[in-house]
Amino acid sequence: MKTGTLWILWIALTLGLAAAASARLYVGGDRTVFQPGETSGVHHQFEVSCETCHTSEPFEDQASIRKDLNKTCVTCHKEELKAADDSHPIKKFKNPRMAAYWDRIDARYCTSCHSEHEPEITEAGLLTLPGDYCVACHSEGEQDVRVNRPSHLGLTFDTCASSGCHNYHDNKALYEDFLVKHAGEPWLADDPTHPPSVIARARPRADASEIETYLAAIVAPEDAQGTEADTHWAASAHAAADVGCGGCHAPDAETPAEIEAAWEPAPGEQVCASCHRGQAKTFALGRHGMRRHPELANPRDPERMLKRLGWSEPPEMVVSALEDYLADPAPAPLMSTSEARVDLHAEAMGRDLTCATCHAPHEQDLSFASTGACLTCHSDDHSLAYEDSAHHDLVLAEMAGDLPPGSGVTCATCHMSTSERRGVVMTNHNQNDTLRPNEKMIRPVCMSCHSLEFSIDALADADLVQRNFQGTPDRHIESIDWAVKRVDQPDQGSNQ
Amino acid sequence: MMTPMAKVKALIVGAGVALGGSASADGMDYETVTDLLHLVMSSDRTVYTRMIVNRLAVEEGVIKASEHFEDDKALVLPAQMFRFGSEMVAEETDEFSYSLLSLWPINKQNAPTTPMEKEGLEYIAANPGENFYGEEELGGETYFTAVYPDIAVAEACWACHNDHKDTPRTDFKAGDVMGGVVIRIPM
Repeated sequence: MKTGTLWILWIALTLGLAAAASARLYVGGDRTVFQPGETSGVHHQFEVSCETCHTSEPFEDQASIRKDLNKTCVTCHKEELKAADDSHPIKKFKNPRMAAYWDRIDARYCTSCHSEHEPEITEAGLLTLPGDYCVACHSEGEQDVRVNRPSHLGLTFDTCASSGCHNYHDNKALYEDFLVKHAGEPWLADDPTHPPSVIARARPRADASEIETYLAAIVAPEDAQGTEADTHWAASAHAAADVGCGGCHAPDAETPAEIEAAWEPAPGEQVCASCHRGQAKTFALGRHGMRRHPELANPRDPERMLKRLGWSEPPEMVVSALEDYLADPAPAPLMSTSEARVDLHAEAMGRDLTCATCHAPHEQDLSFASTGACLTCHSDDHSLAYEDSAHHDLVLAEMAGDLPPGSGVTCATCHMSTSERRGVVMTNHNQNDTLRPNEKMIRPVCMSCHSLEFSIDALADADLVQRNFQGTPDRHIESIDWAVKRVDQPDQGSNQ
Repeated sequence: MMTPMAKVKALIVGAGVALGGSASADGMDYETVTDLLHLVMSSDRTVYTRMIVNRLAVEEGVIKASEHFEDDKALVLPAQMFRFGSEMVAEETDEFSYSLLSLWPINKQNAPTTPMEKEGLEYIAANPGENFYGEEELGGETYFTAVYPDIAVAEACWACHNDHKDTPRTDFKAGDVMGGVVIRIPM
């Protein structure tokens, strides 16, 4: 063949291949092939929905892409950082007087420390810098920690964040004045109960006559009556709160005839969410409900994409053909346990997570929801050790009536922190909210019963955490001692 | 609808005309703009310090002012009040930025970080009643930088700064220059 023909053939093949690849990228199919590397943490649940983070228009310059990308981090993590009273907020570094620091670690951008798709260098908390990153700014000038804190003279920079002393963002339980304020407290309070749990668990139960009254008033189709569900419901908080069968099975119906006509045998979770809004909202922020997160990009819209590519009025037929081709709604509607990256029991695979996974809809058995449901799936060391732990013994003692309500410590006590507002208890259904770094758990959870000192020591001992706190911490973190010393002997350490 | 920045500009121009500053249809020089910005900042700051913090925390003693105002259910410190405002501005615009700095800061973050900040703070401390103006290059951009003295206007200022465990200076008194407000405009 002539050289010219070969050139034409080569160009045609290259263009054809590029067209096929971009058609796949922009309009169809499974896009995992375009992933530069595995995403980390909860991000893997929506990694095929690329547009959640990658919002820039094609061919934008690098600076704009970085800005757009970083905006999306804040979209989802803003509230969390605000609640943490972020020690290094972006706004602090935007001032041009911080320009000298931009060359060290550019703290105006999340991606300077948290770079996605780089599993080989990703540490806990999606950190993609070496663990001694504090050295970049806190080793010279006014910020030199060894000058400001003589107690820190012999310490190395890889221990700032790994020791249980400091976090980059969340120091709400670790700041100096807080340490001093809670110094010298006994490891266990005289009255070790978790206040919101006291309210939740002290709820009066319906007595036999009330249950009879509720049962007599049931309005439901004939064939749906007479099962165990009736009696379970009659003893539940739903019955006491005047939420009858129709409330969930026929939410828009009012009269018995309407209820029978509109009866839905297995109502979906949107029925639960219509009343339990706060729970549903927080559920979508954690790993169990992440696929419902309001900020995830919607599944791709072929019509919009064709318009973006310059086809202003695509025929209906082309659009519907493309919609059929898009076999993968991105992301998949529900997270299945089979996709989880944590240790789970083999028999727990292939399950979707909805409200009813943990909450039996009629029984409202909170002890199942707060422990049993978790242990049905989770099989990591910490979970497996729970039933042998002192925290679990307290649950048994509380159930036996030997300890007051609020004494028992379930999985949910620590992982689904509860808060009380005007007598109403709200359970945060984002079970990841206080998980990383684990010092986030100290104030809302640990300190209900334990001293700050004990909490810091215990959470810094990874083996103890794995054993579900059977035993005592194998280390003592000296942060409180040093903070107290600095206040008691100001001339020995303060800046005076 | 006016954007927040347009409102700020309108306010500045309005204030400039009222004061007889060098505002004109062609715009204002940098010095006039920073002078006017500072006038608003220092007035609000003095009002908060005297009428809220000093009155309630020092004179009437009905509430504390604390750095950990949420945990302590207390008033925001005047310096924090100023910083939160400046951070809110930073989130809205990069057309100007400002901060409250000192050669004797309780919080090390508020020590000078650029040579011009240091020069400016030293100048206003040595020349009471005078401001400092200059130009500096930061992160590849040239800025007009103005430094204004920040004066001890109420007992709350020197009482707290002299007694704080982290203060590098303990002899502040009424009328002293305790630090400076630095305002920058990219040129």
